[in-house]
Amino acid sequence: MELSIDRLTKHYGRKIAVDCVSTILRPGMYGLLGENGAGKTTLMRMLCAILEPTSGEVFLDGSEVSAMGATYRDLLGYLPQDFGYYPNYSAREFLLYMAVLKGIPRDLANKRVKELLEVVDLGNVGAKKLRTFSGGMKQRVGIAQALLNHPQILILDEPTAGLDPKERVRFRNLISDYAKDRIVILSTHIVSDIEAIADEVMLMKKGKLVSQGTVPELTKRAEGKVWELAVSPTEAARWQEKVTVANLRHEGEQVILRILSDGRPAEEAVCCEATLEDLYLQSFRE
Amino acid sequence: MELFRLEHKKLWRKNTTRICVLLCFVYCVVLGSVLVYQWGVFGSRKDNLGGRNFDGYVNIRNCQAYFSKYGELTDETLQAWVRDYQRLHAALKKEKETQGAENKETLQTYQNAGWETVNSMISTLYPELEQEEMHYVMIMSCYVDPDKLTGLYGRREKALNTFLDVSGQTGGERAYLLQINEKVQEPFSWKWVEGWSDVLGSMLADLGTVMALFLAIVLSSLFAGEWHDNTSALILTTKNGWRKLALAKVFTGLSFALELFGLLAAGMIVSQLVFLGTEGWDMPIQTIKMIAIAPMNMLQAEIYEYAFTLLGAVGFAGVVMLLSACCKNHVLAFLLSLAVAYGPKTVKDFVPYWLEKAFDLLPLVGSGTDIFRTNTFRLFGHYIWSPYLLIWVPVLIGILCMPHAVRGWARRMRV
Repeated sequence: MELSIDRLTKHYGRKIAVDCVSTILRPGMYGLLGENGAGKTTLMRMLCAILEPTSGEVFLDGSEVSAMGATYRDLLGYLPQDFGYYPNYSAREFLLYMAVLKGIPRDLANKRVKELLEVVDLGNVGAKKLRTFSGGMKQRVGIAQALLNHPQILILDEPTAGLDPKERVRFRNLISDYAKDRIVILSTHIVSDIEAIADEVMLMKKGKLVSQGTVPELTKRAEGKVWELAVSPTEAARWQEKVTVANLRHEGEQVILRILSDGRPAEEAVCCEATLEDLYLQSFRE
Repeated sequence: MELFRLEHKKLWRKNTTRICVLLCFVYCVVLGSVLVYQWGVFGSRKDNLGGRNFDGYVNIRNCQAYFSKYGELTDETLQAWVRDYQRLHAALKKEKETQGAENKETLQTYQNAGWETVNSMISTLYPELEQEEMHYVMIMSCYVDPDKLTGLYGRREKALNTFLDVSGQTGGERAYLLQINEKVQEPFSWKWVEGWSDVLGSMLADLGTVMALFLAIVLSSLFAGEWHDNTSALILTTKNGWRKLALAKVFTGLSFALELFGLLAAGMIVSQLVFLGTEGWDMPIQTIKMIAIAPMNMLQAEIYEYAFTLLGAVGFAGVVMLLSACCKNHVLAFLLSLAVAYGPKTVKDFVPYWLEKAFDLLPLVGSGTDIFRTNTFRLFGHYIWSPYLLIWVPVLIGILCMPHAVRGWARRMRV
């Protein structure tokens, strides 16, 4: 299975939301990183064929996805960033409704809904109305609906927003397993989520796909550019104005700064191993 | 089918839907039918100021019993009614003068005799008998000489011709209307008319107007509500999320229109059967309006008016669904739906006649009471009596809107 994105572009008037993005996605987990307004959601909506591109095309195994229609949608699972729900429905009813929309036979749908409610840890509240759910619980219902039809292409826009740490770990494990023979595209601001599970990371900036590669490949680009420097608290403020500080922690009387810099910022600075977060901050530091 | 079932369930689960149906039922059946029969219109009069007793059921039976002696409308029965009415009127007047108050029994019989429809009959057929100097100038049955009420059916023909002359309906149109009128059978069966007059002229005539409001409230959110609920992105990425769901929604809207109509019609028919019964069903509608040309009895007229409302409601549902599918905002869809139903009704009196007639063809804008009128449409050189078009065109408009609603929904979704 191969999802091929060919010069995909979306304009909103004079604003370019997605600018000529091209890539090929094969089974695996893809993390989409980018600041707010980078074009992640727009790209995902075009991949789902619910947003018509200004130009460019998306192909699945050589077939144009919008022409595939229901065949493509049958392979698709999508969790939008702000997904809506029917407040008067219980979680179970909502999932059953979505299952019918996805063309799953009723008997199978009942079984699948029960199974997924357990998977997202909502088995004991499946009969409760969605309006009584917390943000995190609703998000889990959203994740469950995306998985209803065992999608071959799973697109998740900010799936971990609102989840507590325990649920985030649970979700990461679930998706990690799921991505073995499927294409999973996940966007988030939580870099550690992507770092933990993504096979490849796609970095978007101002509508363009600026980097794509595995976590080690990408972090390698930041090697030699991440430094740790121990300074006094009064000096820390001065350093923050001068350079990009990725992290700051107190150790006794000193403050340890994690500095992103192309050259050694100070004699005492020690070069250290780069992380995806360092790369992310480096990419967006201007 | 499963999608339709779920969509239908979803619509009925909404509080708005339930409240609307309840309000509509209360307004049309409880207030507009049961209370009208028992109190508002058919309760016996308390006084001359229009106050009524809560005794409609008994009062209706008394009225029906009073008229049962006439059987057919002829010169003789009309004269007999006028004589009796004038006798009762004089007796009441005398009782008031001599005893200071009216005798209850006389008053009851006087009320049972009614006067509205027969008075309208006399004033239409015998206009020359109107005496402007009389105290009861409008209530001719109080003072006309019964012996002068002759040649009833000949008078009817004359009145109809005069009306057509005044309306400028001449030549082919007049011949066409008179040809319809030829099928009206004489003499007319004559029983108590007031009950049927109110059912056909008021209750059923207003049913569509009320339904339009509630159909607009419920159905305007059928498609547009998905944008409000922010569920469109989820729905559209599902296998059945485009046309099949749109089709299920269209059938849901259609089925809701039928269900709402069915509920109201059932309630109104049951209350009609309880209060009015079936007596007088075979009277021609000419007993309500003498110059009506339709060869219909009361039952046929009632069936027509129900069918008119039903088909109008289906047509209107189609229009509302189209607006809902084409607007992302359900409030805008609602306002546009109201504009479609009530806008033309509001401006009808201020527009050219041809436009007024065109407006009548819109769903729930025209009136089922056109069966009492001599309106025609001229299409491709042929005259068509307006009720023939008024019943079919609105539903055709609605049916035409439905596939466009499906397409509009699919198109709007791909933004």
